[in-house]
Amino acid sequence: MRERAIGKAFRLAAWGVASLFFAGAAAAQLPYKDQIVALRVTRQFFDENRPWVKQNPEVRDGTAVVISRELLLTEASMIQNATFIQVEKHGRANWIPARLVHQDPAINLALLTVDQRGFFDDLTPTEIAESAATESVVHSVRWKDRQFEVSNSRPGRIEVIESPFGSVHHAILRLSTDFSAGGWAEPVFADDKLIGITVMQSGQTATVIPAEILKAYVERSTRGGEYLGFASIGGLRWQTNTDRALVAYLGLEGEPRGAFIRQVPWGSISCSSLRPRDILLELDGHEIDASGNYNHPRYGQLRFEHIAVEGHEPGDIVPARVFRDRRLIEVELELRSYPSSASLIPWRRANSAPPYLVAGGLVFRELDGRYLNAWGSEWRTKAPNQLRYYFDLLSVAQSPDRRRIILVSQVLPAAYNIGYHGVADLAVKSVNGFEIDSIADVAQAFTQPKDDLHRIVFYPNSTIREVILDRETFEEATQTILSAYDIPSRLRLADGELPDLGPECPQED
Amino acid sequence: MKRGIQSCLWFAAVVALIACADSENRQQSIERSVVRIVNHSQRGDWYSPWLSRAPSYSGGSGFVIEGGLVMTNAHVVSDARMILIHLDDDPTPHEARVKAIGHDCDLALVEPVEVGLLDDFPAMTFGGLPELGSSVETYGYPVGGQRISSTSGIVSRIENATYAHSGADSHLTVQTDAAINPGNSGGPVIQDGRVAGVAFQAMTEMENVGYFIPSEVIEHFLVDVADGTYDGYPDLGTQVVNLENPAARRDSKMQSGQSGVRVEFVYPESSADGQIEERDVLLAVDGYPIANDGTIALDGLRLSYELLLDRRQAGESVPLEILRDGERHHISVPMKVYPPFTAYRRLYDQLPRYYVYAGLVFVPLNTEVIVSRSEDLPEHLLYELYFRPIEEPLDTRQESVVLLRRLDHAVNGSMSWYRDLVVDRVNGRPIESLEELIETIENNQDSSHVFEFAYYGRLGVLDREAAEKANEEILEIYGIAEDRNL
Repeated sequence: MRERAIGKAFRLAAWGVASLFFAGAAAAQLPYKDQIVALRVTRQFFDENRPWVKQNPEVRDGTAVVISRELLLTEASMIQNATFIQVEKHGRANWIPARLVHQDPAINLALLTVDQRGFFDDLTPTEIAESAATESVVHSVRWKDRQFEVSNSRPGRIEVIESPFGSVHHAILRLSTDFSAGGWAEPVFADDKLIGITVMQSGQTATVIPAEILKAYVERSTRGGEYLGFASIGGLRWQTNTDRALVAYLGLEGEPRGAFIRQVPWGSISCSSLRPRDILLELDGHEIDASGNYNHPRYGQLRFEHIAVEGHEPGDIVPARVFRDRRLIEVELELRSYPSSASLIPWRRANSAPPYLVAGGLVFRELDGRYLNAWGSEWRTKAPNQLRYYFDLLSVAQSPDRRRIILVSQVLPAAYNIGYHGVADLAVKSVNGFEIDSIADVAQAFTQPKDDLHRIVFYPNSTIREVILDRETFEEATQTILSAYDIPSRLRLADGELPDLGPECPQED
Repeated sequence: MKRGIQSCLWFAAVVALIACADSENRQQSIERSVVRIVNHSQRGDWYSPWLSRAPSYSGGSGFVIEGGLVMTNAHVVSDARMILIHLDDDPTPHEARVKAIGHDCDLALVEPVEVGLLDDFPAMTFGGLPELGSSVETYGYPVGGQRISSTSGIVSRIENATYAHSGADSHLTVQTDAAINPGNSGGPVIQDGRVAGVAFQAMTEMENVGYFIPSEVIEHFLVDVADGTYDGYPDLGTQVVNLENPAARRDSKMQSGQSGVRVEFVYPESSADGQIEERDVLLAVDGYPIANDGTIALDGLRLSYELLLDRRQAGESVPLEILRDGERHHISVPMKVYPPFTAYRRLYDQLPRYYVYAGLVFVPLNTEVIVSRSEDLPEHLLYELYFRPIEEPLDTRQESVVLLRRLDHAVNGSMSWYRDLVVDRVNGRPIESLEELIETIENNQDSSHVFEFAYYGRLGVLDREAAEKANEEILEIYGIAEDRNL
């Protein structure tokens, strides 16, 4: 009996040793260790409530994959507002500074490099697969705490989603993974080729940008010349066309099919070619069914928005068949990018500092997604009502004469602005009679008062319509308030120009 | 000297005994006049508007007043199916019914079905507004108890505040630290043997903070219902801002020493429409100067100027002094109830209005619809009800109609969008009320019904013949007795 117990214990111990050996051997056989590096990014975001202040820096760990003798590929969201980027290879404790070479927040990818001589010598560039479609077992890999981790992951569904930083609607792969707290650019391999990079993880389901997009991004960003990015159907509002009664009413014979176009905003891909109440039947030779799907050669049913992304670039002209006014017509769509900044309320403000102006204690700023997120993840219930419905009703409705919503986000209390201390989060219509569409407009308008007062007029709302301030003491009061609230600068203008959204959409007949 | 002291003490003792006896008599009289009310109620279901919810019952308090009536809160007797009152030292419950009810002021009068039932019960009388810091006593049947309970406290604040029952009305309230718990509602708050107010709500975030409705509001209610109907509080229909900033006062051309509030918005067809203009300054109401923070000095208190507007009955006029472009004007504004504000209130004593056609459930948009969808409410419904009338007053619908939901059936099952949509047009006609929607559908002779929805350009179509054929069947399948309640 005793011998048997000892024998069992021995067998268990031996099995354990064998397991460890197997894991080590398996890891050693995997070439991926030389193809990825650990990425550490120190980031610092702005305090959206006090846009002149930066929050405490934070450190985010992730992964980058080696794609050439000088470039690393990772997700762009990792390096947003980065103050310092480091990489580490082979699990050795040696962080080495890295440098951003290129990024496209709209598609959420970025390229890094390392200037240290010889850094890439013991790394192996990864081959990007032609497609993420595979029947092989896939491996998600990463360095975590200097341990090399491999997860045998299981590909799930392919679907089209909107990229988190921009308005590119593209295919992604859902992946079941064993990683905990993943979603920070872990590469996914199959048959020794890179088939995707994770950009998000919820529970044990990771979201992966597929190889087709990785390949296109690397090619476009490294070939020289102007980087045009990815085309997008963003902004277009459509609905499924499954309703037989609706189809009959519109006069389309046969089975319901195509995407019913509801709204075509300025600057979108279809502004000049599509109209509300069109039925988009075919795009670039792909038939669109009543659910808005087309048959992708490798992924099967995908929402038609992906057509603009894969195999096309901004500027391409693609043919479309449209049912309009009870007849079939052929139109051409000029593909274009639709960045987040093309929205009236941009969901993300990649890398740039929030523009603001402090004038007489009134804090002016743009309404954007980052500001809404200052109310936390539950901003949809906690943010002020008017901001929530602006976002729901107006977020994509930029027009040539209204490209941003400028708010008085708060009033820094002082004797000068007494009576207005409760004013917060109201949209500004004009200052001193000048229509307002940017922080620069506000700053300019304050230099041109019409009389001895400054007048800030809000869009109609449920509290106050107008703030009136004394002009004579305005400058002195502003300086006093800046000093009292320790604000280093009264003004920060927006970085760069707003995107050119082209001519205004033709009006309906 | 010693004897003199003894006499004094004896006299004082007698006075105290008499006072004590008086006090006891008064106490007994009050306790005898306070009744317990049980309300078996039933509300409509605003998400399934053809249904009523399960009956429920709740308890509150009330007190006997002149005319053999019991005064209580509206919320104690709302949506009543059967009301029972329990009298002091009487084990038999007595059936009663609502004589008058004011949901905007949370007051109601209840009369026993049995004529003369309360003849032997002392009718309580009303006093004035208690002073800050003075003592009051509340009487009632808190938390379901069957014996009367009284607590005493201090008047700690007097101000205009929101009445939770309607959720949309503000009137004068008195705050006290006398315990006001569920069941106290409708009971009297007593000072010097007279009713100083009716207990009605408590502050859940703060300890020992209860509110009662002062006699001023009670009197307004009693005068209103004297003709047998309750009209409700009239509204001036303006939105104003304070003028504490000197630059704002200068802009309004106010002279030194002048004070008031600036009118930002005048609701169309309200009392103020045509009388008051945007950017006018309200200087005084009823002869009381309005301070730059919107208060008036009244009986040693600073209270909202709206209190003076509240004193008017519908049909009465209120004298106002306004400043328009630097010139003072005295005007008299006839006050009227403003029906559009009804949509902002909780609704009681009525079943939801609705229309079911081909499985599509249409309802007027109101606060009950909003409350019933509080979990996943689309922002555009909030905007349509509360903000659009202010932001787009010229484009505001008289009554917004919402496609609330769909009862699935082959005739409607393939519609892409079918819930929480504001109806903009039906068959090309702009829709301004539920009745208009019904009329438009019923009068349509085209082959299709075309529904255009507001905000996102959504479109829904029904085959008219198929819809009419399916209508009865859908009502039967889903157990809907009537296709409409108007």
